Amino acid sequence: MIAFIWASVILALIATIMISLYGIARRPNLVKKLIALTIFGDTANLLVVLLGYRVIYPVAPPVLPYLSREALSQFVETAVDPLPQALVITAVVIGMAVNVLIAVLVIQLYRLYGTVDVRKIGERLPALLEGGEQ
Amino acid sequence: MKKLIPLIVILLTIFGLAHYIAPKLPPQTELRPLGEFYLKNSYFGEYSAKSPEVVTSILWDYRGVDTFFETSVFFLAIIGSLTVFRLNKKEERLAKQKPKEFTGGLTLVVKSVTKIIVVMILAVSASIALHGHLTPGGGFQGGSALAVAPLLIIAAYSKYALEEHGLDKTRALILRSIGLLGIALVALVPLLTGGFIMQNQPIFPAEIKGQLVSGSLIYYNLFEFLAVGGGFTAVFLLLAIPEKVFKEILGVGE
Repeated sequence: MIAFIWASVILALIATIMISLYGIARRPNLVKKLIALTIFGDTANLLVVLLGYRVIYPVAPPVLPYLSREALSQFVETAVDPLPQALVITAVVIGMAVNVLIAVLVIQLYRLYGTVDVRKIGERLPALLEGGEQ
Repeated sequence: MKKLIPLIVILLTIFGLAHYIAPKLPPQTELRPLGEFYLKNSYFGEYSAKSPEVVTSILWDYRGVDTFFETSVFFLAIIGSLTVFRLNKKEERLAKQKPKEFTGGLTLVVKSVTKIIVVMILAVSASIALHGHLTPGGGFQGGSALAVAPLLIIAAYSKYALEEHGLDKTRALILRSIGLLGIALVALVPLLTGGFIMQNQPIFPAEIKGQLVSGSLIYYNLFEFLAVGGGFTAVFLLLAIPEKVFKEILGVGE
C-alpha cells in the first residue's frame, strides 16, 4: 500500500509537470504562461525534495534534536537526506526572483502594447521594428 | 461535466500506472553516503560547521560557493527588474507625487489590523533568519517573510505611506547592497588569515558568551536576510507605481 501511494505521488507530480508544460507552450496569455511556469518550477523542486525522503515510519527532519553524541546514531537512523533540501532552498528564492523579473517584463509589455496575448504582440512587433516609432 | 472527463482520465491513468510500477520501484529507505556524512559531521566531527541545523550548514559551509553564486543570480534578477523600470530624477519625483484622486487606502479596520500584523511579521522574519543555524529557516526564508511586510503596507495604506516614512526605493536598494557587501566581506575574511574562501570554523568563533552562533553562519544569515528583504521591497515599490502615472512617464497615452 505504501509503495502504491509513493508511486502515485511521483506519477501525480510528473503529470503536473506535463500539464504545466502544456500551459507554457499552448496558452497565448502571458500571465497564464507565467502561472504555468511557477507550477512547473515548484513541482520540479518538490520532486527534488522527494529524492531525499526516506519511506520509513519514524522519519525526522535533518535538525539535531539533542547536542549529544549518544543521540547521533539514532538521529542518523531516522533523519531524511539534507542535501536535496539545501539545493531546493536556494532554487525556491532564485525562482521567486526570476518570477518577479518575468512579471515585471509582462507588465511592461502590457503597458507598451496594451495586450498580453502573444499572438497580437507578434502581429504588432514586425511593424514596430520596421517603422521605428508607431 | 465536459471538463471532468480529462480529469478522470488523468486520475485513472495515474492510479493504473502506479499500481503497475509500485512493486518495481526501489525502496527508498536508505540514506545516501554523502547525506550521511553531512548528518554526522554538521555539529560533531572533524569537518564541522558547528550547526545542529544540517541544511543551513550545507547551505553556507559545505556548499557555500554554490550559495554564493545563487545569491549573484538573485542579484542579477533584481537588477534586471530595476533596469526595466528605470526612471530619471524628474520621473522619480513624478512617481512619488500623490495623484489627485488618491483617497488614502483601505478602511480603518484593515489599517489597524495591518499595524499589528506588520510588527508581528517583522519579529517572525527576524526570528526565522537569526535562528537559521538552530531551527529550520535561514536568511532566504527570513528575507522572503520580511518582504511581505512592506507589501502588506502597500496594499492596506499605499506606497506613499511607505515613502513618507522614509522607506523609498533608494533606501531599500542601500539595504540590499549592505547585505550583499556583508556576504562578500564575510566570505573573504578567512583569506586574510591564510584560510580558504568561505571557510567557517577556524576563523569565526562557534560560541559567543555561551550562545551557539555556529561561526560565520549567523552573519551570512543576517546579511542574506537584509539582501533578500531589501531587494524584494525595492521591486515591490516599483510595481506599486500606479498604471496611469507610469503610462504618462513612458509616453504611451490611452
